[in-house]
Amino acid sequence: MALLALTTSAFSQQYLTREATLSFDAGSPLEDIYAVSESASAVYDAATGKLGVQVLMTSFQFKRALMQEHFNENYAESEKFPKAQFTGVFQGGEAIGQLTIHGQTKDIAVPCEILEADGSLILNAEFPVNIEEFGIAIPGAVADKIAKDAKVQVKATLKKRA
Amino acid sequence: MQIKKTLFSVVLSLQLITAVGQEDDLFSLMDIPETTEFTYATFKGTRIINAQSNETPGKGVLQYVISHRFGSFSNDYLYNFLGLDIAQIRMQLDYGVTDRLNIGIGRSSFNKVADGFIKYRLLRQTSGAEEFPFGLTLYSSTNYRGARYTDGVDHFLSDRLSFHHQAIFARKFDESFSLLVAPSAVHWNLVPGPNDPNTTFHLQIGGRYKITNRLALTGEYNYGSNYEYSDGQRFYAPFALGVDLETGGHVFQFHISNTNAMSDPLWVATNPYNPLDGSLFLGFNISRVFTVRD
Repeated sequence: MALLALTTSAFSQQYLTREATLSFDAGSPLEDIYAVSESASAVYDAATGKLGVQVLMTSFQFKRALMQEHFNENYAESEKFPKAQFTGVFQGGEAIGQLTIHGQTKDIAVPCEILEADGSLILNAEFPVNIEEFGIAIPGAVADKIAKDAKVQVKATLKKRA
Repeated sequence: MQIKKTLFSVVLSLQLITAVGQEDDLFSLMDIPETTEFTYATFKGTRIINAQSNETPGKGVLQYVISHRFGSFSNDYLYNFLGLDIAQIRMQLDYGVTDRLNIGIGRSSFNKVADGFIKYRLLRQTSGAEEFPFGLTLYSSTNYRGARYTDGVDHFLSDRLSFHHQAIFARKFDESFSLLVAPSAVHWNLVPGPNDPNTTFHLQIGGRYKITNRLALTGEYNYGSNYEYSDGQRFYAPFALGVDLETGGHVFQFHISNTNAMSDPLWVATNPYNPLDGSLFLGFNISRVFTVRD
C-alpha cells in the first residue's frame, strides 16, 4: 500500500524546461526590433494546472548590439529588474495569472496551448504586451519606431521531471 | 493491523506534506540560475569628452563622430558669435571589427592633424555568477601634424608624428555611477629642445553620473608629468565637464573645457590654456552609429 502511494507521487506530474524560446517583436515599419531568448524556463504541473514561465532580460539577443544595450539600459532596466515572469494556471486553452515585467505585475489571460508529444509537453503561446502598461517609458523621439504592443511568442518543450 | 493502519496514515500524510511542498516549490523550479553577464554601457560614448572611455562600438558598427570646440570666453566672445566663428572641428570615422576591436581615423582642424587609432577591450567587467570588478581597454593613436612649420627648418615626415598610448581601467559601480582611470604615455618625435622629454606620462580620471536613463553628467581631468618646455612654452592640465544626451542611435555630448584641441597628444600634453584666465571653451561631440554588418 505504502509503495503504491509513493509511486503515484505528485512528482511525476511536473514538467520543466530551461531551454524555452521566448521572443518579442516590438518593431514598426521604421525599425526592426526583434529579440529572442533561448534560455527561458517553463514549469507546468499537469495535476494542478499550474504554469510558470520565466526569462532573464539580459538573455534576449538582438541583431544589433547597440539595440540590445539600449533595451537593457533604457527600457527594461535589466539591472533593476533582471527577470520577467508569468505565474498562474493553464485552464481551458488559456494561461491565466500574473505577468511581471519591469517590476510591475498585471493580471492576464491569454490564449495558450499545451500539447502532449512523446511524453513531453509542447507549450505555445502568442500574445500582445502593452509596453507602457508595464511602466516602460518610450520617449517621443522614438515613439514612431517602437510598437505600442510587443508581440510575445513562447515556444517550449517541457520534459517530465524524474 | 493497527500498526499497518498507522503506518499507512503516516505515509499518506507525509505524501500530502510533500505534495503541498511541491505546490509551493513549483515556481521556484523555474528560477533561472545566475549567469555571468558582461557589464554594458559603463559610458555612453566611446569618449567621455576628450578622453577615451573604455567603450567601443559593437561588431559591425560604423561610427561617425563630429566634434566642435568654440572660441574661448576670453577671446572676444560676443564679437566671435559666442565663439562659433573661431570653432575648431574634428571628424572621426571608426568601425567595430569585433565586439572588442575598434579601429578608426580622424581629422582635426587644430594643427591640421590626421590620426589613426586602434582600441581593444582586453578585459571586460562582469557580474553575476563570475564577477570581475573592472574592464581594461587598451588604446593607441598615431597622429600626423599637417600644419606647416614656421621655424624655417626642413622637417622629416617623422618629425610630424606623435603618439598616445593608454591603458583604460573602468568600473561601473552601479547603474548610475562609472569611473575610469587611464595611465597614459605621449610621445613626440620632435620637441622644442634637447633637454625636453620626448615622452611624457599622464593620468586621466573620468566619470559619469546618470541622472535619467538618457541623460548623464560627465567629467574628466588629465594630469601630466611635464608642462614646461625649454622654449618657454607653459602648458596646463586639461579638464572638462559635460552632459551626455542619448537618443537612440545618437549620443550628444555638450561640455565646457579649458582646451580646444581634440587630437590626442595636443589636448593631453600641450594644452596652452589656463582656465583661470577665462580660457574656457564650449563644445560638443555628436556621434551617429550605423550597423553596416549584422
